[in-house]
Amino acid sequence: MAYTPKTNFPILTKRIPTRPWGDERQRHIVRYDEYVETGGYVGLRKALSMAPGDVTEVVKEAQLRGRGGAGFPAGLKWTFLPKIEDVNSPGPRYLAVNADESEPGTFKDRLLMDFDPHLMLEGIAICCYACRIDKAYIYIRGEYHHQAQVVEEALLEAYHHGVFGGAGLMNGSDTATGAPWKVECYLHRGAGAYICGEETALLESLEGKRGWPRVKPPFPAVQGLFGKPTIINNVETLAHLPSIIENGVEWFTAQGTESTIGGPPSYGTKLMGLSGHVNRPGVYECDLGIPLRTFVEEYGAGMRGGKKFKGAIAGGISTGVLGPDQYEAELDFDIGRKYNVLGLGTACPTIFDEETDMVAVARNISRFFKHESCGQCTPCREGSGWLFQLLSRIESGEARTKDLDLALEIATGMGAMPGTTICGLADGNNWAIRTIMNKYWGEFEARVQPTFVPVTMSVGAAANG
Amino acid sequence: MAWVAKPSATEQIERRDEPYLTQEMCDQLSRDILPRYETKMGALLPTLHMVQHAHGWIAAQALEEIADFLDLAPAEVLDSASFYEEYWLKPKGKHLIAVCRSIACEICSHAEVTEACRKRLNIGVGETTEDGKFTLIELECIGACGGAPAALVDETLHENVTPQRIVELIDQARDHDAL
Ligand SMILES: Cc1cc2nc3c(=O)[nH]c(=O)nc-3n(C[C@H](O)[C@H](O)[C@H](O)COP(=O)(O)O)c2cc1C
Ligand code: SF4
Ligand code: FES
Repeated sequence: MAYTPKTNFPILTKRIPTRPWGDERQRHIVRYDEYVETGGYVGLRKALSMAPGDVTEVVKEAQLRGRGGAGFPAGLKWTFLPKIEDVNSPGPRYLAVNADESEPGTFKDRLLMDFDPHLMLEGIAICCYACRIDKAYIYIRGEYHHQAQVVEEALLEAYHHGVFGGAGLMNGSDTATGAPWKVECYLHRGAGAYICGEETALLESLEGKRGWPRVKPPFPAVQGLFGKPTIINNVETLAHLPSIIENGVEWFTAQGTESTIGGPPSYGTKLMGLSGHVNRPGVYECDLGIPLRTFVEEYGAGMRGGKKFKGAIAGGISTGVLGPDQYEAELDFDIGRKYNVLGLGTACPTIFDEETDMVAVARNISRFFKHESCGQCTPCREGSGWLFQLLSRIESGEARTKDLDLALEIATGMGAMPGTTICGLADGNNWAIRTIMNKYWGEFEARVQPTFVPVTMSVGAAANG
Repeated sequence: MAWVAKPSATEQIERRDEPYLTQEMCDQLSRDILPRYETKMGALLPTLHMVQHAHGWIAAQALEEIADFLDLAPAEVLDSASFYEEYWLKPKGKHLIAVCRSIACEICSHAEVTEACRKRLNIGVGETTEDGKFTLIELECIGACGGAPAALVDETLHENVTPQRIVELIDQARDHDAL
């Protein structure tokens, strides 16, 4: 069945020319004036005319699911904060914007920060108003030097025009509650640690500590940054807010797709980053639910060199791989249950052609996790190291059949949340290696020498004697 | 690996009279950065970034000065500083060449790019040239997978890098210094 996109206009990429709607060569940094001229900050104004609880209600009804990896409904997360009525009581609460984007294969948030930073800032303002938050930190990864500068400049503009700081949001506009709501927003730069993308490690890092994930509960909405109620949302999740508030729930739920397996729906469009062996890699905005094949062939202009599709990482290496027979997989939040991967992750697939050495892929991925494990939990710290050693041995042809079983056993044993490790990094390692080994077992087997098990037995006349 | 053991407490550190964390930096931090965070420690990452930006690396003496400034124990500062890969606790070259080695880049021939750097600079990954001009490293995903192979030359990202291109970039940096 041919696939027709439901949404035939750009939303997140409205100001960032992207195929099929625009010419990428015309991309440029959208400054405050251009942003406002093209309908920017309309969503925020509308939000301010609504009661904060009603804004949350809209986001909840739209069932906007987190775009950072876990797909948790944003509106629902917001309701875990202490009740708004209790919050005129002392004590700040915080928003931590997750712009740490370090999952290999993922480069979608960067597009927004490269070209349209005000979209994220407007989303931040809306979230802060809805959740009665007075301070937001944008945690951007250290390697995003240019993006940090673009966001810093946009923040200056936003302060200058009274979006943040001063008298209150939008120059101290009166809000539905009667009084202006004041928000401070700061940029905080990370320093090269993948684990700081995990939400509680991010909070530790904001506090100046090493990025060690925290044991939950308590959850951040109750006790987060500096022990205060804190919401953590991904850049793209927040960037969806202005259009949802402006256009309403029905508009949003008309995009994307319902679940086909009775699960929660995957509404809205998604920034999807395509990399690997395709002709036209890049970030595209698609409805959730687009089949991988369509994404590769229409957006990515097909496989590089006309080669055959061998597999794909579903959405960042932690999610595991889709095998050669899963080219039709729909990219939505059902993907985990339907195609035996961890989940949609960041929806940034990396594509492998028929010549790819999947053993090398597994070795590369296991090295990543070994390198990035924070070391708190034994199964993750030790398991990731052993797994890398075993896979390197398999790749070099020096391993034996029993090493395959051992590698699979380690991969399967580590993580398995909840319980054995503090955060999801070990699960990512588990899913990545386990799915590669299971889906390409023959390739692994062909690389090892058989294990000879010595057996003593007597044959012939001696056996009778 | 963030969890590797730290230097021994008995190790002697090199000292100099001139502070690494200057009065000017302290003033700027007190004015612009400290008020942003609920605790003084919250300003630790920005402070480390500032010192590294000024000196190219963070000396042990600088860690002590930072501890002093933020009312922390030197061990707390070392604890955080040593966790993050981007902080250099040993001197590095004037220019940092960082080639991405994660999955999208590896399957798009990142190894040729690294090899070209090694040949041009005559050093291995993780090493610094004798003249102190260049350090070569490999990093995990730098968020440019659509432009694989990707590399950072100092703070500038380069996508779809070829072996020829990276050599050009190295030469440009060297020529620029010679001016
Ligand atoms: C090891 C690990 C790394 C993560 N890295 C990121 C990241 O770089 N960016 C991100 O947005 N979320 C990341 N997450 C997910 C966050 O913990 C969190 O779920 C997310 O930021 C919540 O935002 P959302 O609900 O808007 O998606 C990571 C999770 C884990 C376990
Ligand atoms: S699972 Fe791994 S990365 Fe996560 S807290 Fe434990 S050791 Fe650290
Ligand atoms: S894998 Fe190299 S930039 Fe992402």
